[in-house]
Amino acid sequence: MTQRYLILQDQSVYPGEAFGAPATTFGEIVFNTAMSGYQEIITNPIYHNQILMFTTPTIGAAGINHQADEAIVPTIKGVVTREIADVSTNRLQRMSLDAFLKRHNIPGIARIDTRALARHLRQTGTQKASIVDVPDDHAFDQLKAMVLPTNQVAQASTPKAYANPGRGANVIIIDLGLKNGILRNLRDYDANITVLPHDTTLEQVVNLDPDGIVLSSGPGDPHILNEQLLRLIRTVQSEIPLLGIGLGYELFALANGAELEELTFERHGMNHPIREQITGNIIFANQGNGYVINRASLKETALMVTHVDLMDHSVQGVRHRDYPAFGVQFFPDAAPGPIEATDIFAEYMEIVSARRGGSRQWLNEY
Amino acid sequence: MANKEIVDGMSMQRALTRITYEIIERNKGVSNLVLVGIKTRGVYLAQRIGERLQQLEDVAIPVLTLDIEAYRDDREPKDRRQPQIDLNLNGKRIVLVDDVLYTGRTIRAALDALMDNGRPSVVNLAVLVDRGHRELPIRADFVGKNIPTAISERIKVNVRELDGQDSVEIHS
Repeated sequence: MTQRYLILQDQSVYPGEAFGAPATTFGEIVFNTAMSGYQEIITNPIYHNQILMFTTPTIGAAGINHQADEAIVPTIKGVVTREIADVSTNRLQRMSLDAFLKRHNIPGIARIDTRALARHLRQTGTQKASIVDVPDDHAFDQLKAMVLPTNQVAQASTPKAYANPGRGANVIIIDLGLKNGILRNLRDYDANITVLPHDTTLEQVVNLDPDGIVLSSGPGDPHILNEQLLRLIRTVQSEIPLLGIGLGYELFALANGAELEELTFERHGMNHPIREQITGNIIFANQGNGYVINRASLKETALMVTHVDLMDHSVQGVRHRDYPAFGVQFFPDAAPGPIEATDIFAEYMEIVSARRGGSRQWLNEY
Repeated sequence: MANKEIVDGMSMQRALTRITYEIIERNKGVSNLVLVGIKTRGVYLAQRIGERLQQLEDVAIPVLTLDIEAYRDDREPKDRRQPQIDLNLNGKRIVLVDDVLYTGRTIRAALDALMDNGRPSVVNLAVLVDRGHRELPIRADFVGKNIPTAISERIKVNVRELDGQDSVEIHS
């Protein structure tokens, strides 16, 4: 094995063993504490341009199979792990994680003390990082000079609208970095889906006569998205059932006057119990976010809290008091993660179906 | 005679959750709200909705029980007595809750019983199942499940408190 180095902007150096592609990359480093689901995590577009570190001791033991893809290609900048398994007995596997990363030109680095690194990142907050052959001054200069992209959503979103046909309700997804799990779950209800790019206009949405609108999850800072999308949300939410997930939920909250706080370090994992307020049910789900709703800011809004994280008491779901519009911070699509949160899609599609064929009067007013 | 479960416990819970949210949407909040459950299973459903509102909004909504027996249109009117409601309903926003909406005659009786207790500002109707075949001009504002049926069939709603499980069965 070739020795390579993970370096951070605060000058720390972690030697390790190379796997995957031999490329040199830069990106923000984030860590995920989930014990399983590395392929879904690696292919989730919310990690677009980021270096992904796993705190679970070993990844790769299940290989790669196409049922677990969350995007056509992974767009992360690197994988950091304690150990990469070189044997997999999973009957579904088509190739090893190592081969998969090589194919997509993504470098990996193993033999890193990921627990120490996670503790370090929890204190310092999110940092820029790089996987390099030699941790010299040149490498640190390059890292220092690296500018993080701000158009994450524009890069992760589809450039053109496309159809994912079904025979049921007409549902629009606004792609902010859509993951396959959302499509998979909506297909369970035979929804006739149209996926639209992130910069879709209100007119384009209205012209498609949707029964429901889903704002997908996605990468990056919700504040940099333009006012056009927030206006679109404010206009359609009173007329069409709306579901926001992850970034889509954050935008739904912003559109309704809530404020968001940036976390010191992004939180990725699936071990936090989440309480559904209305029933008291506890669910677990895959979580991945760099921002949370400021709870106090909700007082002045028409939003009510529907889900709460019981570990840090953060708001994990809100709903509009006057309209069938709601969202969750976590990933309800169970890819990866427990399936109990998929009920949110069932609830959403019931609302969509119940309102189908209602008055379309408002459409004519645009 | 075949019994078939057509709504399971999970779906029934979800329907009640959705109805609860719709009640908040429709009433622009929960102030002045009173839930009235029609005996027998409507009472348990009303209590469930009441619990949900309490957990979500942290306010206790009055949940009342209504026995419409004396108001049935197939009984002699002389049997009527003042029903068991010890709350002045004047100006209240009432959500009437029942398990199955069928001919509409039960709801008609319930409305009469309510009106004998004051003048609510608005009465809405929430039902878990709407099975069709109305004989009176009555419709529900909140419906858990629309289940088209034949008149010869029977719909049975089970509630955990009384029947040991939550489900909706169709008997044909």
